[in-house]
Amino acid sequence: MITENMEQHLFLYSFLAVLLAILATFIWRFLGVVIASRIPADSPMMGWINAIAYSMVSGVLMLIVVYPSGVLSTTSLDQRLFGLFVGLVVVSLFKRLILALCCGVFAFALAVSFF
Amino acid sequence: MHDPDFQLLTADEVRKRAIFDALRAPCYALGLTMAGFSTIARECGFDFFMALGTSLGIWGMPGQVAFASLYSVGASLFVIFIAVSLANMRMLLMVISASDLMNLESHRLALWKKVFWMHFLAVTAWANLSMAQRKYPPHLLLAYYQGFAVTIFVFGILGTIIGFFMSDLLRPEILRIVIFVTPIYILLMIINARQKVNRLAVVLGGGLSPVVFEYTGEWAVLVAGFVGGSLAYLYGLHIAKWHLGKTQ
Repeated sequence: MITENMEQHLFLYSFLAVLLAILATFIWRFLGVVIASRIPADSPMMGWINAIAYSMVSGVLMLIVVYPSGVLSTTSLDQRLFGLFVGLVVVSLFKRLILALCCGVFAFALAVSFF
Repeated sequence: MHDPDFQLLTADEVRKRAIFDALRAPCYALGLTMAGFSTIARECGFDFFMALGTSLGIWGMPGQVAFASLYSVGASLFVIFIAVSLANMRMLLMVISASDLMNLESHRLALWKKVFWMHFLAVTAWANLSMAQRKYPPHLLLAYYQGFAVTIFVFGILGTIIGFFMSDLLRPEILRIVIFVTPIYILLMIINARQKVNRLAVVLGGGLSPVVFEYTGEWAVLVAGFVGGSLAYLYGLHIAKWHLGKTQ
C-alpha cells in the first residue's frame, strides 16, 4: 500500500515537474511574441535588445567552452580554446563558415588526441 | 545587401534551401547534443517519456540540463520552475530579435501561429537566421526559418530518442569532439553578424561571461549579456553620431 502511494506520488511529482519546466520556458517565448509586436522595427529599443541577445548567446556558449560539464570536461581549457581560435582565424581570413567549423573541430580533435 | 538572385525565390524554394542548409552539418551536431542530454537525463532518473517530453516541450539545452540535474536531487517544484525559467530567459530576447529579423508582423499571422513557430526557436536556429539575413531578403526569412528550425527540431528529437536507449552510442573520446561542434558552430556564426554593433556584443558578452561566472555563478549569462550588449550598443550609438558629424 505504501509503495503504491509512493509510486503515485513520484508519478505526480515527475508529471508536474515536466509540466512546470515546459511552462517556465513557454512564458518567455509567449512574452517575446507579445512584446515583439509592440516594439517598432528599427527603433533604438530593438537595436539594444538585439545587441543583448547576441551578447547573451555568446555568453552561454563561452561558458560551455570554458566551464563545460559532462564528457567535454575531460578535455583541457587550452585544447578547447585552441579549437575555437583556429575556427575564428579561418573564418576571419576566408569568410567560409563550414570550412572554419571543420578546421576548428579538426584542430580540437588533434589537440585532444595528441597533446 | 542581399544577393539579388535570391529576391526572386518563392517561399517554398527558400524552405527547401533551408532544409538543405540544416542537413549540411548543424542537424547532426544537434541530434548528438540532444542524445547527450538524453543520456544525462536517464542518469538523473528520467523515464523515456519524461526525456522526450522535456525535449519536445522545452527545446533549449541549458534549461533542459538544469531541469534534469534538479530533478535528480528531488528539488521542489517551485525551485525547478524558477531555475528553468532563469536558464531560459534568453528565449525572450531571442524571440523578440528573431521576430524583428523576419519582420514577423508583416506576415499577419494569428497570435497562436506566431507562438507555435517560435516554439522551434533555440540558439542554433536563431544564430542561423542572423546568418541567412545576409543572403535572403526579409520577406523570405520566415520561410527560411521554418525549413531550418523544423529540420533541426526533428533531428534533436530523434537524438533524444536514440540517446535514451543507446547511451553508449559513441565512445567518450569521439563524443567529446562531436559535442564541441555545436558551441563552435554557433560562435563562428554569430561573430559574423551583419551589424558591427552585434559583432562587438558577441566579443564583449563572450569575454565577460566566464569572468563574471567566477563571482555570480549561473547569473553570469544574464549579467554578461546585459552589460556586453548595452556597452556594444552605446559604442555603436557614439560611432553613428561621430559618422553623422563627419558627413554633415
